[in-house]
Amino acid sequence: MRHITTISLEERTEAQVSETARAVILVWRRGHAPIPGVYCRHSAKGETGARVILHTCKRWLAGLVAITIMGVAGCTSADRSPSAGPDTITLLFRHGKVSGDPRPLQKLLRQFEAAHPTIQVRSEPLPSSTDLQHQIYAINLEGGAGGIDVLAMDVIWVPEFARAGWIRPLDDLFTPALQAEFFPNAIQADTYRAQVWAAPWYIDAGVLYYRKDLLEKYRRPPPTTWPELVETAQIVLEGERNSRLYGFVWQGRQYEGLICNALEFVRGNGGDIAIREGRITGLAEPETVEALGFMRDLIHRHRISPSLVTTADEETSRHLFGSGRAVFTRNWPYAWALFERDGSAVHGKVGISPLPGFRGHGSASTLGGWHLGIARDTRHPEAAWELIRFLTSAQAQKRLAFALGIAPTRTSLYEDPDLLAGQPVFAVLRPILLAARPRPVTPFYPMVSQILQSEFSAVLAGLRPAGAALRSAERELAKVLRLERL
Amino acid sequence: MRDQSETRTGYALLLPALGVLALLALYPILALCWLSLRHRILPFGIDEFAGLDHYAVLLQTPRFWNSLGVTLYFVGVSVALEAALGLCIALLLARNFPGAGWARALIILPWAIPTVVTAKMWEWIYHPDFGVLNYLLQATGLVSAPVNWLGTPSLAIHAAIVADVWKTTPFVVILLLAGLAMIPPDLYRASALDGASPWATFRHVTLPLLRPILLVVVLFRMIDALRAFDLLYVLTGGGPADTTETLAIYTYKILFQTLQFGYGSAIGVVMFLVVTLVSLLHFWVGRADFRRLAGRAP
Repeated sequence: MRHITTISLEERTEAQVSETARAVILVWRRGHAPIPGVYCRHSAKGETGARVILHTCKRWLAGLVAITIMGVAGCTSADRSPSAGPDTITLLFRHGKVSGDPRPLQKLLRQFEAAHPTIQVRSEPLPSSTDLQHQIYAINLEGGAGGIDVLAMDVIWVPEFARAGWIRPLDDLFTPALQAEFFPNAIQADTYRAQVWAAPWYIDAGVLYYRKDLLEKYRRPPPTTWPELVETAQIVLEGERNSRLYGFVWQGRQYEGLICNALEFVRGNGGDIAIREGRITGLAEPETVEALGFMRDLIHRHRISPSLVTTADEETSRHLFGSGRAVFTRNWPYAWALFERDGSAVHGKVGISPLPGFRGHGSASTLGGWHLGIARDTRHPEAAWELIRFLTSAQAQKRLAFALGIAPTRTSLYEDPDLLAGQPVFAVLRPILLAARPRPVTPFYPMVSQILQSEFSAVLAGLRPAGAALRSAERELAKVLRLERL
Repeated sequence: MRDQSETRTGYALLLPALGVLALLALYPILALCWLSLRHRILPFGIDEFAGLDHYAVLLQTPRFWNSLGVTLYFVGVSVALEAALGLCIALLLARNFPGAGWARALIILPWAIPTVVTAKMWEWIYHPDFGVLNYLLQATGLVSAPVNWLGTPSLAIHAAIVADVWKTTPFVVILLLAGLAMIPPDLYRASALDGASPWATFRHVTLPLLRPILLVVVLFRMIDALRAFDLLYVLTGGGPADTTETLAIYTYKILFQTLQFGYGSAIGVVMFLVVTLVSLLHFWVGRADFRRLAGRAP
């Protein structure tokens, strides 16, 4: 038992241990729950029997103390670096894993350090699950214990982090003149209560991928409306007679991606789900009900989407389309580079276009992307801004766009001849990204999203008709938005 | 007089243990109850007294009733299956046959695997496209098209129950094997002399003597299943359409994903009450057996 305890403590990496310690410290500070170690008093030296037990106890206490010390050290380590001189400061930059190769970003950071001899950057990637990232930020930033200086946020978190006071307003640094160089919809997502809180790092929008070769074979143009997509998919499926080929795969799992997909159908049908002055609008409207019903019909009436889309996320649908098993798929731009890389089963056979709309309405992609902000508790706001300015500069964005195919947030780069020559797909992406629309901008977004996810999922699963589900969502959302007025 | 002082010493000796219990169990529960009476969303600086608001909202929230129903269904079906299967396997393994020792050691494997690994493993087994279950069903011609086990509302909860039964039946088996070993062999010899059939032996010797331990095992499993979180969370995340969302997953989502500490605590309190109620009911049903297990005559 003792043996196992020791090993498991040693095997944990410092990062993990200090993460735990930070969580413990937060709970302790807030007085939510007692921690055994804090109340435990180590008795005098063991003189009687049961030495083994006492020894184990000591080890445990030593372990607890070690964890705590590591945690506390973690809080201040941003200022201590072995190679740092007396005037050097170290910035802690936390971000989600950038898709693909991590080296280009590391190279950029080293380049930043070379240009700023007094600043060092320690970058700590977070787990790839965005729910976990959100949780880690919440614990560290609310506890004021993470030592974070610069952080990358999912676009939907910015208002929440701003309202919580976890990040600083950037109005003095990120002036309107500088903002004008970025996509206006991304800036809109960074704006909360008339202040700007983050700078767009990279941008995402839903796009339609199609099999160029199959569409050419059946002489069908890329679809511009959803009914057209259904028709084309049916024609191809009928002609191919391949039971392992699907028509259209998208993301219908009960998670954030479902909201992005559903909003695209709703907005493409002339509806919109929005939050204005603490009230939800457009939820139980006919356009929304119709759009949700259509999503279910794709599976059960038109039969072009397999029932597995109700559990599919981005990666599931990317793997299916990427192994040549679907005619159409909806995904973010990152998938393009993966479809087109050497050895891919669909290399050279993929086309990309805006998502279809319904008759009389245009395409409406959901805006995604990651944004850089400065933590409230940073001791080096100027250096932090320097890093953000560098990472969002045209040169740095171009580098990442070239290496990883992630979309830059500066509009001018989409006219850059080098970049367009190297990554021609950006010419197609530009209008899609420009037109992409943010999800409802509210600090209560995680709660709103959770309610919508379960009702949308109920519609897709056929548990409730769209109308009833959306009315139920409206009732639940009213309860949550009441909090806004507290 | 002497009796009384002995009693007093007894209580005094119990005090440290009671103190530790109060600190580790009572305080968190009381803190949870207190928190459930407040509107508290720390990041937004919301912290005010709410009275019984959260409970009133809970009673009107379909999602809450749904998760309560899912939890009870999961507990009922999975524990019944585990007890029945576990009993059969234990009776088999209690016999002496070549390799019995090996079989008894191997049966513990599913229980020893970390739950997250189990969940990931079953996720792949159930995968509609690459899963081995669909492959076998299609190869034998039992189904024509792949079944989306975890994406179909009526199937997902049962798929999760199967995974849970696979994982925890060994726990039941091991405890029942210990229970079977405690039954004096004389009783079996006597019943054999009397010419009892195997069924009569099981019905009148094995089962009555195994009852107390069986009740304990079922209690353990019920308390565990009422708090079911890890397996379901990894397997389905509560979906599709909340059909596998247990009280524990609901609490987690409210507490950690949306940071509503007050409301989440209210669900936690309800969960605590449900577990307590079920345990008390169980104790009452099996009161005679528990007394026997505690060493007193029935």
